[in-house]
Amino acid sequence: MGDPKNGAWRQLWATFFGKTWPVWAGGIVLAFLNICLFLAKSPWGGSGTYTNWGENVYQAIGLFGIDHVKPVLAHSYGLLGFMTLLGAFAGALFGREFALRIPPMGEMLKGLIGGVLMALGATLGIGCTIGGFLSGWAALSGGAIILALGFLIGTYFALKYLIWEMEALPKMSMGKTYTFLAAKGAGGVWQPILGTILTIFLLVSFSMRFRADNGMAMFAIIGLVIGIVLQRSRFCIVRAFREPFMTGESEAPVGVMAALVVGIIGFTVIKYMGVGTSTPGAARALAMVWVYPHFWLRAIIGGVIFGLGMTVAGGCAVGTLWRAGEGHIKLWFSAIGFMLFAPISKKFIVPGFAEMLPEWAKQKVFLPDRFGYGGAVLIFLVIIALWYGFVKWNERTGKFSAI
Amino acid sequence: MDMDVNVDKTLDCKGLSCPMPMLKLAKEMKGMDGGQVLEMLGTDPGSKGDVPGWCEKTGNELLGVEDNAGVFKFYIRKG
Repeated sequence: MGDPKNGAWRQLWATFFGKTWPVWAGGIVLAFLNICLFLAKSPWGGSGTYTNWGENVYQAIGLFGIDHVKPVLAHSYGLLGFMTLLGAFAGALFGREFALRIPPMGEMLKGLIGGVLMALGATLGIGCTIGGFLSGWAALSGGAIILALGFLIGTYFALKYLIWEMEALPKMSMGKTYTFLAAKGAGGVWQPILGTILTIFLLVSFSMRFRADNGMAMFAIIGLVIGIVLQRSRFCIVRAFREPFMTGESEAPVGVMAALVVGIIGFTVIKYMGVGTSTPGAARALAMVWVYPHFWLRAIIGGVIFGLGMTVAGGCAVGTLWRAGEGHIKLWFSAIGFMLFAPISKKFIVPGFAEMLPEWAKQKVFLPDRFGYGGAVLIFLVIIALWYGFVKWNERTGKFSAI
Repeated sequence: MDMDVNVDKTLDCKGLSCPMPMLKLAKEMKGMDGGQVLEMLGTDPGSKGDVPGWCEKTGNELLGVEDNAGVFKFYIRKG
């Protein structure tokens, strides 16, 4: 090539956007970003995005008596999800991977149903794979362990269903499909250019919009970066739970484990040190951040339902966002189902369910209260080490793999 | 431009998102004889990483990959 500087720039671009990033690298960066969110305002969450979006829809059309809803861009998680979606879109454009991909009708239906199940699971279980698991484990919440067990169970049975469906209901994933706006092979330039313009526009406009609100400014910018990282690394918690039972591949689980370890260390330091607090009451409130009253029943029931939904949809709360940003219309339906059902579940289903629960199932369990900070961290690290050993062994032996 | 290879079967996974392309690929390969070649069409960028990994793991030979305006073609010989 003639111009060395231009060649170097192209090489740098190809390095960062020409290939998918290692999942573990994405996991570590995402955990770091989550720590930043926690320091700025509160930890990363996924399902709150959809509840806020859905409530805005219902308020706008005057349904279900839902009112006093914070506008999307004035709500921490409404904003975070919005920026994650746009960040994923930008990331896909940078990598020339964006295209509108319209699947068969059956797949769109599965997206919708998966979204509805996730909405139900997240509201019953008080959290999803992001807020309840990635952030929940980092927060040293005991209920978060049970929730993850629910995800595992739900995912396992949903995968069984998908395999059965291919044989018994093959038409569900067959039929007319369409692809629009795809990049023309390796040489196309319109996508990277549009991605660059979009990213600059978002950085400038949201920095200005939240000039006077540092917390929201951080959520907006970090949300954008989260979206880019998710898409570039194809970070996927559904895969982390599913792949051991499907292909046996360990890359996705290991990536999630990397995120968990970094998150646990970061959150533990914040909580143990009482960062930014000056009174015992404030320090206690900080320690209890992201620790919810869902130990046992709510966590296991909500987790199983969520696990079913995310596997049928092919993306969890943020997997849906980044794949929607990449142009998979199935995941647009997942987002729509999640968004429309979350407020309904929150308002009409969860209260009755919560009322029925025995008192012992409504406890907030913060593990350091029982095992000390060292013991609590050790419990999580041991679970992760066992999980790591299992996925590596299973990758070699294929004992639990289906294909 | 198509690869110069004799294809015995074509599997259309266009428009499908993870995990459907991989589940369908595994199912299709099960029904093929050793040495036969499958042409798999897909549009999910994730398949570009998934298919080679699966082929390596299962002993099937990935003959080549083509990208035509967002439609990927994988040529796989049953091991």
